[in-house]
Amino acid sequence: MRKVLFIGLVMFLTLVSQAWAQNRAVSGKVTDRSTGDALPGVAVLVKGTTTGTATGVDGTYTINVPEGSNTLVFRFIGYSVVERNIDNASVVNVALGVDSKQLQEVVVTAIGIERETKSLGYAASKVDGEELTKARETNVVNGLAGKVSGVRITQSSGSLGGSSKVTIRGTNSFGGSSPLFVIDGLPISNSAPGGNTPTGNGSVDYGNRAGDINPDDIESMTVLKGAAATALYGARARDGAIIITTKKGAEGKVKVSLNSSTRFDNVLRLPDLQNEYAQGNFGKYDLRNTNGWGPKISEVQDVTVKNFMGEDVTLQAYPNNVEDFFQTGMTYMNNLAFEGGSKEGDFRLSLGSTNQTGIIENQGLDRYNVGLNAGRNFKDKLNVRTTINYVKTTTEGRPVQSSNSPNILTSAIYGLPRTVDINRLRDNYIDPITGEQISLTPDKTGNNPYWIINRNTNESDLERMYGNAIVSYKPLPWLTLSNNTGVDFYKENRFNKTSKGTFGALEGEFYKATLQNRIVNNDFIVTAERDINPDLNLKVMAGHNIYSTHYEAQAVTARNLTIDGLYDYANATSTVPSQSISERRLVGIWGDLGLSYKEYLFLNVTGRNDWSSTLPVDNRSYFYPSVSTGFVFTDAFNIQSNILDYGKIRASWANVGSDAAPYSLDYNYNPATTYFVQYSLSGTFPHGGLLGFSAPRTLPNFNLKPQNQTNVEFGADFRFLSNRINLGFTYYNTKTTDQIVALDVPLSTGYFAKYVNVGAVLNRGLEVDLTLNPIRTTSGFDWTTNVNFSKNVQEVQDLPESLDFYGLASGWSGLQIKAEEGKSFGLYGTAWQRDPEGNFIINKDTGLRETEQGKRLGSITPDWLMGINNTFTYKGINMGFLVDIRKGGVFYSGTVASLRSSGLAEETLENRGSIFIDRGVNKTDDGFVPNTTPVQSMQDFWGKYSATANTEGNVFDASYVKLREVRVSYTLPKRWLENTFVGSAEFGLEGRNLWIIHSNVPHIDPESNFFGAGSVGEGVEFNTMPTTRTLGFNLRVTL
Amino acid sequence: MFKNIKRYTVIAALGLTAVAATSCESYLDINTDPYASTKVEPKLLFNYATTNWAANRAGGDNYIPIALSAQTIASGGNFGWGKDNVYEISPYSTGNTWKAYYATAGLNLVQAIAEAEKASPANNNAAAQAKIELATMMYEATLIWGDIPFSESWQESISYPKFDAQKSVFEQVIGLLDEAIAQIDETSPLKISEYDLIYNGDLSKWKSFAKSIKFKTYMVMVDKDPSVASKIGQMLNEGGMVSSAAANFTFPFYNTPDKENPRYKILKRYAGGSNIFFFANNNVLSYMKQLEDPRIPVYFDKPAGVSTYNGVDSEEEADATTATISMYLYRPDAPEVVYTYQEQLYLEAEAYARGLGVGQDLNKANELYKKATLQALLFNGIASSTAQDYVDNTLPALTSVAKPVDQIHLMQWIDLMDRPLEAWTQWRRSGSEGNEVPTLTQPEGTPAGGLIRRWVYSPDEATSNANTPSPTPIITQKLWFDL
Repeated sequence: MRKVLFIGLVMFLTLVSQAWAQNRAVSGKVTDRSTGDALPGVAVLVKGTTTGTATGVDGTYTINVPEGSNTLVFRFIGYSVVERNIDNASVVNVALGVDSKQLQEVVVTAIGIERETKSLGYAASKVDGEELTKARETNVVNGLAGKVSGVRITQSSGSLGGSSKVTIRGTNSFGGSSPLFVIDGLPISNSAPGGNTPTGNGSVDYGNRAGDINPDDIESMTVLKGAAATALYGARARDGAIIITTKKGAEGKVKVSLNSSTRFDNVLRLPDLQNEYAQGNFGKYDLRNTNGWGPKISEVQDVTVKNFMGEDVTLQAYPNNVEDFFQTGMTYMNNLAFEGGSKEGDFRLSLGSTNQTGIIENQGLDRYNVGLNAGRNFKDKLNVRTTINYVKTTTEGRPVQSSNSPNILTSAIYGLPRTVDINRLRDNYIDPITGEQISLTPDKTGNNPYWIINRNTNESDLERMYGNAIVSYKPLPWLTLSNNTGVDFYKENRFNKTSKGTFGALEGEFYKATLQNRIVNNDFIVTAERDINPDLNLKVMAGHNIYSTHYEAQAVTARNLTIDGLYDYANATSTVPSQSISERRLVGIWGDLGLSYKEYLFLNVTGRNDWSSTLPVDNRSYFYPSVSTGFVFTDAFNIQSNILDYGKIRASWANVGSDAAPYSLDYNYNPATTYFVQYSLSGTFPHGGLLGFSAPRTLPNFNLKPQNQTNVEFGADFRFLSNRINLGFTYYNTKTTDQIVALDVPLSTGYFAKYVNVGAVLNRGLEVDLTLNPIRTTSGFDWTTNVNFSKNVQEVQDLPESLDFYGLASGWSGLQIKAEEGKSFGLYGTAWQRDPEGNFIINKDTGLRETEQGKRLGSITPDWLMGINNTFTYKGINMGFLVDIRKGGVFYSGTVASLRSSGLAEETLENRGSIFIDRGVNKTDDGFVPNTTPVQSMQDFWGKYSATANTEGNVFDASYVKLREVRVSYTLPKRWLENTFVGSAEFGLEGRNLWIIHSNVPHIDPESNFFGAGSVGEGVEFNTMPTTRTLGFNLRVTL
Repeated sequence: MFKNIKRYTVIAALGLTAVAATSCESYLDINTDPYASTKVEPKLLFNYATTNWAANRAGGDNYIPIALSAQTIASGGNFGWGKDNVYEISPYSTGNTWKAYYATAGLNLVQAIAEAEKASPANNNAAAQAKIELATMMYEATLIWGDIPFSESWQESISYPKFDAQKSVFEQVIGLLDEAIAQIDETSPLKISEYDLIYNGDLSKWKSFAKSIKFKTYMVMVDKDPSVASKIGQMLNEGGMVSSAAANFTFPFYNTPDKENPRYKILKRYAGGSNIFFFANNNVLSYMKQLEDPRIPVYFDKPAGVSTYNGVDSEEEADATTATISMYLYRPDAPEVVYTYQEQLYLEAEAYARGLGVGQDLNKANELYKKATLQALLFNGIASSTAQDYVDNTLPALTSVAKPVDQIHLMQWIDLMDRPLEAWTQWRRSGSEGNEVPTLTQPEGTPAGGLIRRWVYSPDEATSNANTPSPTPIITQKLWFDL
């Protein structure tokens, strides 16, 4: 890749040679000093002139040296520059040594522009594809966790094919942050459209669309964090960009690669449950209550009671009934790639499959990827390349999560009374005679979880095509015209069914939806580059961009089925159709001017003007500039030191504008399909045969102006002790003002929100990237540690005086995520009342704590993050592990609330049957006095303490330390494979999410997010599926 | 060469600008939602608003928390429904109810009024119909929260509406009703007819309903502001208020999927269609028993095998023998009732019994009270002969009881059991603190400080509107009208 690039670069230099004095010809061969292999593409220059050539495939060159010149300069990325005097020789052979001093890695930056890392004036982190496939994640986004400073990955749940959210350098907007994903120059969709179920607010996680990418096709992923880095993408990359370059066939022999993994998935963390008390109410056995507030099992051994089957039984605990509900899921990931290339062109065809069965019966995911990346050179001037990717994903049994749905699985499983035998439950979820569900409760309110997983499965089917066609033409040696046209299209079908006889939806219902999304992008780019003089290189680029997105969804909810199991609209007595559309277009022109002085001082200036369809006509045009500079002071001052190998400082400033959501300008009346009724009982229009129309929920604004973000960044990169220590620092300050938000307004205005430019979000942060190579022996043992640290401080500013808070997202029962002036985005809700000394105020009559609403309970974002990645290699053995640390922030768990309030959590055993007086004070007319009132029962205590509505009782510190990734592999020695058809072979053991080393949240993995990947909200979960631990084998073979 | 670069760059840049500029305008003009309309007939907004309002009143955000906390029904402790009975009212419910009054119902009525009045010719009757509903909703909202935004609501230029004092809200309600009454032109064919599920475009009924709401408002105000007594007297003399059951304000639900009364839907969805959540509260049942009220079997169902109607106190544990609220009241096509003829008659009886703006006349009051009770029984499906017999022979006459006004209040309370917002209001206005009818006690487990007298403001409103009264009033704090 680097070589190809450099060959191209050198070709330019060669062709633009002006001094063409032909005094004498010198030839020779350039080789790698350590291997002796020929080096193609090495730039050979006559010193003091612009005359140059490049070595061919066999490493040879021939150059005409003008009269008066006597020195050749050999330059190649990654190698030390060598100067050789010619004197009288006609053959000059050179062996180049690898340059350990220079960071000459190439990264792909905005609009696909490749730059050397050392020339950048901003931080850009590159993750090699190899790193992402070490222990492959089915969702490639998760593979970034802990690997890149400034990048935070929030997994929504353990749902199969579930979504993950990426946040780069903190959330910049009240509307949330969503980095742009770009594959081979094509901005693609990473949307995570919410999934309504037929049963109200319960939600199914259908994943985020970046999860469709085949990790095996990724050559590299570059994370562009600041606005200067992404300025040329403009608004779309306001929250950073993840630039993915896919693998291409290399010049040389045709190669076939196989990467195959077989893995086993288990629940990472199960709740700690009590096993002493049966179900009931205040110590009395009652089948109607699926909880743990019944009698002590050991004390009722002399009596028999009815179980859910109606049988007379003596109560006994089944300690593993929850654990045994889950099974070992299997994941098979296979990828077969065919690749090859020549001077004329290259190709790579990749076939991937991911087949998973879930940790719960009847859950499965099948994903198939086909990817083609092919390029062809037509003589010297014309080059074409195309990439085509096809993805098909089908899933079955994605669980319903959160609340207000009869199909919520986690609460059905975790809420099992301790006396329920899971095997009996499994074998008896359906009455063999009547076909009706056998309920857990005689009043038929509790669904048998096996009924849910066998009868009420959700299905999805996604097909996606994305790819682009790139034509590059060089009419003049210094001028390149290129055009990149790309399309990303997907269609997803969703089908959720709830069979007749499901308690909570007795008549049965289903939901079918079709979602379609299309992105079309065209970039036309003109590039001119040359050396103005031997020390100064100028590169000027100009581009034109057209970008359009079109999203459309149709859905039908059908209720009250006549024939069970027939999911046809005509079989339902009530159907509610709905549809939505969202379309936006953007036209932009841009320019980029880059100067490089002696390859140690770099300056880059960009400017872009966008015209957006979503803004008022008068405000639809906006311009944003950026400037960045890098200075390699060790080269500039020629510092020769045994300690400091390399040192660079960098700085950038950028300003980015962004547009509004489509249709934010018109006052639109919408035909209504439903009217709201609490507890998932919404009715439908027409009611009484009559339709209803509704005014907009969000008041449009005809005067919106573009949102504005200003970013300042400083940084430094150092390498010490012969590259044993690499250290990078970055400080950034990003302020996003004039935020275009649907600002929640008091409902007393009649509206839920109104579109405004308001408020600012400031994110300041520090990123440290440290790579240590403590041990590197001559015997081949190498230990490398990479530590990345990120600290981001977020602050809400410039809220209108009348607005103390701005609501960002709402959970249930008063729980809200809000922005408050001077603070970070926080979790707010019902808190314990406290006296001035901070003691809990306790009700004198009940002994229970008093509450108050609307209190801040902490920040939803962490104080800092750290990833520690260790790699050990010895001969063919490679071992690595990644520890991922989060410190700070708060987390609300609805699952813990349920486990505790229902008396099933282990800690609810404490004080049962004894007197418990909560510590606090009673509020009396004479002031506050110590509480002496005992709670009447622990059922009352936990019923209040852990009620869903008592937010504070269910809030925990969200810090964690996790063993994120472990991999051990062994590469067979080459000599073993000699005379076989196998080029290389490697066997590995790989594991992901193996161990929560430390967490402050009881019972569940603190990495869950009820709001999903598409929302600004996080730090809250309600009945999310448990996350999984994955362990497996890997085989890689190259033919 | 550098000049060449510059030249080409400039040419390219100009070219790109030209391409961008020329193609931009039409290419970018796509910002119109194809699935929405910028114009709409008032009747469509009116129907949406009315349905949302009725659904909120009948649903789990309004009916359940108010009925349980006001003690007209019981949850049977942990045996039945939730914790609303101990005043743990979900902020979600307060939020959704607020949302209905101001947004889903309120705003659409305001827009319906605007669309009707700006039409050419103006549809004055449609505007009046919407105004009457809007006034009624604001009357209800102030009875839940006291001081509420009204005068500055629904104005696009005002982002943070001020909270009007309750007295002012009542006056604005009356003002809006007067405006609507004056606007009605019964001869005009321009009105909301088919889309009026209440009166099917019968403007005389709208007018009588408007007057009744005005009258009811004065009746709520009169204890705190005796000056409105003259208005009460004036209205009694003028008449024109709801004068038959045919003019009852009821919103229909249907025994069709997704069109059923939300109270039934709760049972259908979560309890297999039977009532396992809501029980007879002794605060109603015991008085009905004392009065040998024939509505007992209408209001309540006995469990199978149980011979008596057993009630429970508000936070008492129910059991398998406790009577439940009847499936008749919770039938799928039970209408949502906003105003009835018997309610009007009881109020008139009260006015005469107390001499509010008219001379005190217990006989007249008794006559109205009996008529009211007869209407109440008929409304609940009691056979007319049984009803008449009860009124004539069993119902204590006002002239024979020690506290006639309290007797009226008790009958109002019983009549309103299934309309908890009205029952709660009736109880709060029925006497000064400690003298309400009936006497209620604070259920065990409720926060210290007394019986519930209001809701706290919706957290959504309180956190987003800086004009929200501070400190926020707590649930035990009395409203302006409540003595």
